[in-house]
Amino acid sequence: MKQWDEFFFKKFTLRDVIFLGFCATFMIITRSGLRLHLNIPGHAMFFTMFFFILASGCVPKMWAATLVGLVAGCLAVLLGIGKEGPLMLLKFILPGFLVDCCRAIFPRMATNYIACAVVGIIGSASRFLTVLIADALVGMEWAVIMDHAIFSSLMGMIFGALGALMVPLVIRRLEAHKLLHRDVSD
Amino acid sequence: MLRSRRRKHGSILDRSFQFQHGESPVHRLNAGVKLVIALMLSAFAVVAGKPWMIIALLGLEIGLYRVAGLGITVLWLDLRVFLLQVLILIALHMLRFDPVSGFWTGLKTGLQILLLFLPAAIFLRTTRSSQLMGGLRRVMPARIVFIIFTSFRFIPFFAREMEEIALMQRLRGAPISPRQLLNPVNWKALFDCLFIPLLVRAIKTADETALSAEARGFRIQAVPEGHPEKKE
Repeated sequence: MKQWDEFFFKKFTLRDVIFLGFCATFMIITRSGLRLHLNIPGHAMFFTMFFFILASGCVPKMWAATLVGLVAGCLAVLLGIGKEGPLMLLKFILPGFLVDCCRAIFPRMATNYIACAVVGIIGSASRFLTVLIADALVGMEWAVIMDHAIFSSLMGMIFGALGALMVPLVIRRLEAHKLLHRDVSD
Repeated sequence: MLRSRRRKHGSILDRSFQFQHGESPVHRLNAGVKLVIALMLSAFAVVAGKPWMIIALLGLEIGLYRVAGLGITVLWLDLRVFLLQVLILIALHMLRFDPVSGFWTGLKTGLQILLLFLPAAIFLRTTRSSQLMGGLRRVMPARIVFIIFTSFRFIPFFAREMEEIALMQRLRGAPISPRQLLNPVNWKALFDCLFIPLLVRAIKTADETALSAEARGFRIQAVPEGHPEKKE
């Protein structure tokens, strides 16, 4: 574990990891405090995907979003946010991992509106898996599992895409303030 | 007006599954033992196929709430988050299958999902965050634990910052009240007026915190071999 630990953190500076931790903090704060009270399933993905893609854009290094997901998942479990308990870890890590995979394919995605929307949809679609796992564990019929998972993830994908569309605007404003030193070559 | 709003909505951390102080036998149990018991109860929920098993398990978990000194209000706060999901499941079953048998099957499945996650709620209600963090130290790498602790530490700070920035911007006329945010046209204003100043603050705080930690000798990257700081 020590070797994995050192390998993983070789690329990140202390400033990077603290900022990524703050992105996880914002994810938790917005999830619990700034909810839109729409009572529509999936609207929490609006801020979740925004901060995932923003973290990946501000710290353009591999596994940045996964790290944000891991920290946010741990914080959610520690604070008891979300009804899934320990399954919250998976709910945060999966979208982060998918964002990192997308970044590996298209490093400049955080400044492109279409790319952000697509990544927002892909990341939000991971909710499909978490619903599938929970429903399959209790032995639900597969037809109902698919209906439930699709229904739960569809709204999340829409909100995720909308939240992701805000990222290029924010990244450009932060670059204009000379607050970001982005090298997307990693 | 601000005080009544805070009473109505509660603070940011005033939600279901929050730790409740108490001196019950459940509170005094070791966190690791509680976690194992919670996992076992969740596993029983998975294998509980018959209605009497589900009812017995539900009775057991409600009983645990009583033993832990958590009242009916707390139980309702934790149960209500599953209500919508149970209703959706019942509706899906009734649409897919015969309405009568679909209702009972949906109800059984919904209850199983509730019983799958309720032990985690009891665990979180009776275990302090400090105990959870102490457990994290044993299973996660030190650097990740550092990030988690730092993020946890800054939650109240940034929650306060967010409230202050939002208040100041609303006083300047920014359309970012909860009612105004129901209109998607105002979502851009949310990012312009709230999130960008907040992120500027976060980047500067990250810089200051990193400098402060490094000045105290904390490093996030491994000390290379042969470096004077590396101890044998």
